[in-house]
Amino acid sequence: MHRRITRRHLVALAAALPAAAQTPPAPIPANPEEERKAVLALFRTNGETLAKVTLPMSTEPATHFKA
Amino acid sequence: MAHIDDSIFFATITEVNAKLKAKEFSAVELARAFSDRLERLGPRYNALALSLREAVIRKAKDVDGEIKRERFRGPLQGVPFAVKDLLSVEGHPTTWGAKPYAGQVIDETATVVTKLNKLGGLLTGKLAMVELAGGPSYRYAAASLQGPGLNPWDRTRWSGGSSSGSGIAVAAGLATYALGSETSGSILTPSAFCGVTGLRPTYGLVSRHGAMALSWTMDKIGPLCRSVEDCGLVLQAIAGADSNDPASANKSFYYTPQFARPMKDIVIGFAPVDFSDWAEPAARPDLQKAFDLIKQLGVQVKETKLPDFPYGAMAQTIIAAEGASIFEPLIQSGRVDELADQKQIAGLKAGLEIPAKDYLKAMRIRTLVQRAFRELFADVDVLVTPSRFGPAPKLSQPLDRPLSDRPSPQDRGMSGLIPAGNLAGLPALSLPCGLAEGMPVGISLVTRPFGEGLLLAVGREFQARTDWHKRRPPVS
Repeated sequence: MHRRITRRHLVALAAALPAAAQTPPAPIPANPEEERKAVLALFRTNGETLAKVTLPMSTEPATHFKA
Repeated sequence: MAHIDDSIFFATITEVNAKLKAKEFSAVELARAFSDRLERLGPRYNALALSLREAVIRKAKDVDGEIKRERFRGPLQGVPFAVKDLLSVEGHPTTWGAKPYAGQVIDETATVVTKLNKLGGLLTGKLAMVELAGGPSYRYAAASLQGPGLNPWDRTRWSGGSSSGSGIAVAAGLATYALGSETSGSILTPSAFCGVTGLRPTYGLVSRHGAMALSWTMDKIGPLCRSVEDCGLVLQAIAGADSNDPASANKSFYYTPQFARPMKDIVIGFAPVDFSDWAEPAARPDLQKAFDLIKQLGVQVKETKLPDFPYGAMAQTIIAAEGASIFEPLIQSGRVDELADQKQIAGLKAGLEIPAKDYLKAMRIRTLVQRAFRELFADVDVLVTPSRFGPAPKLSQPLDRPLSDRPSPQDRGMSGLIPAGNLAGLPALSLPCGLAEGMPVGISLVTRPFGEGLLLAVGREFQARTDWHKRRPPVS
């Protein structure tokens, strides 16, 4: 059955979009083990984010050893 | 015995020094008065780590002798100051704000403290801080041996950190100025939340020798003061080469406001979204007014975008990896579990598991970040953004969660400037610029490396036209 989309529906949909796009924060870990897993997961995610950055092979780290 | 008026606790460096030289009171009387106040009020805000009353009174006697003989050492002579308890003072405890180090005594005085002592400064005490300077991250304001820093403007709110005691001490008149440190936000945040003027110097300008290391490549020592002028005077005293700091830039700094560039020659970069959407609604009016005032100084303005890099992931990786390496003995011994904050404990342990490839990748991207900022500062002299997007949070608020339900703006603006600026080693100045919900808010200026003079010039013009830096919290 064809359902008529009203202006009210469109307004509600538009209002819901920012909330849908916003990832809700993870719950606060309940114990040290959960905390550890959460931090490890964060560091893994950071590593994945860094891996996506393409670098010229010649780019050296921003710190150098001097004899 | 001279009567010391309460106004002295909120006087600037120059004012205090002038009154001493005019013999309105002696350095000993001043040292006693500030020590009394620090000991009486410091604990009210969880700001005090250690009073150095006996030592400072001994020092004050020397200062009185020198002033009597007209042996003047400059504007910092006889001026009471206090330092974040990550700076060591020989023979006295240095706790790093952390229970495992509560009894630690380091038999060496930090370079910056030695420099201020040589100029006749009166070190009255060590100030509370977030444990281990908050690295790699923490969840609650209570992450400290001394408990949560309580904001002098409203003790149900946080002072900001990790230089919590430093922000409190200056705001509440417990010291004329303080030293703090920043790895990523730890000078700018308490400065903004407590309504004081804070300066994060260029990486390498100020010696880190004698300061607890959290991140070798990101730690900086800097002043929190009552004015831009005071920041300039303190930076001049503490900056400079130090062979004991491998990261020393071997550069000095001279505070020369008389040679400041004309405002019309200065280009300010900004992102409108910072003031319209990122700023919390209560803070927007005064932040916008502050930016409007900066424009009225006669500067040129230019909409600017931050170079696009994953600053958060980079900063977290570098700080966590370096911090875990530094504190490896603490972690491996299990004493890390004595820290107050569960997230901090977990972060330090997990930091030892960060792969070398991630750390090296972050450090390589960092080279590109520096290059990108060099290009940015070819067109723009100073970036302006809110120091923090809202006032200090309530003490119970988890600091790693959004403060409101407002969705984050799509346009990043300069929201990443704290990690970005710290990754690139850039200097920054936070200026009190208004109130939101009765609490201070600040605006930050950031510039190219070793451009502190430029920051101070713009900041000085701003403070000549405003009085936010003179406002005081309701301290009885």
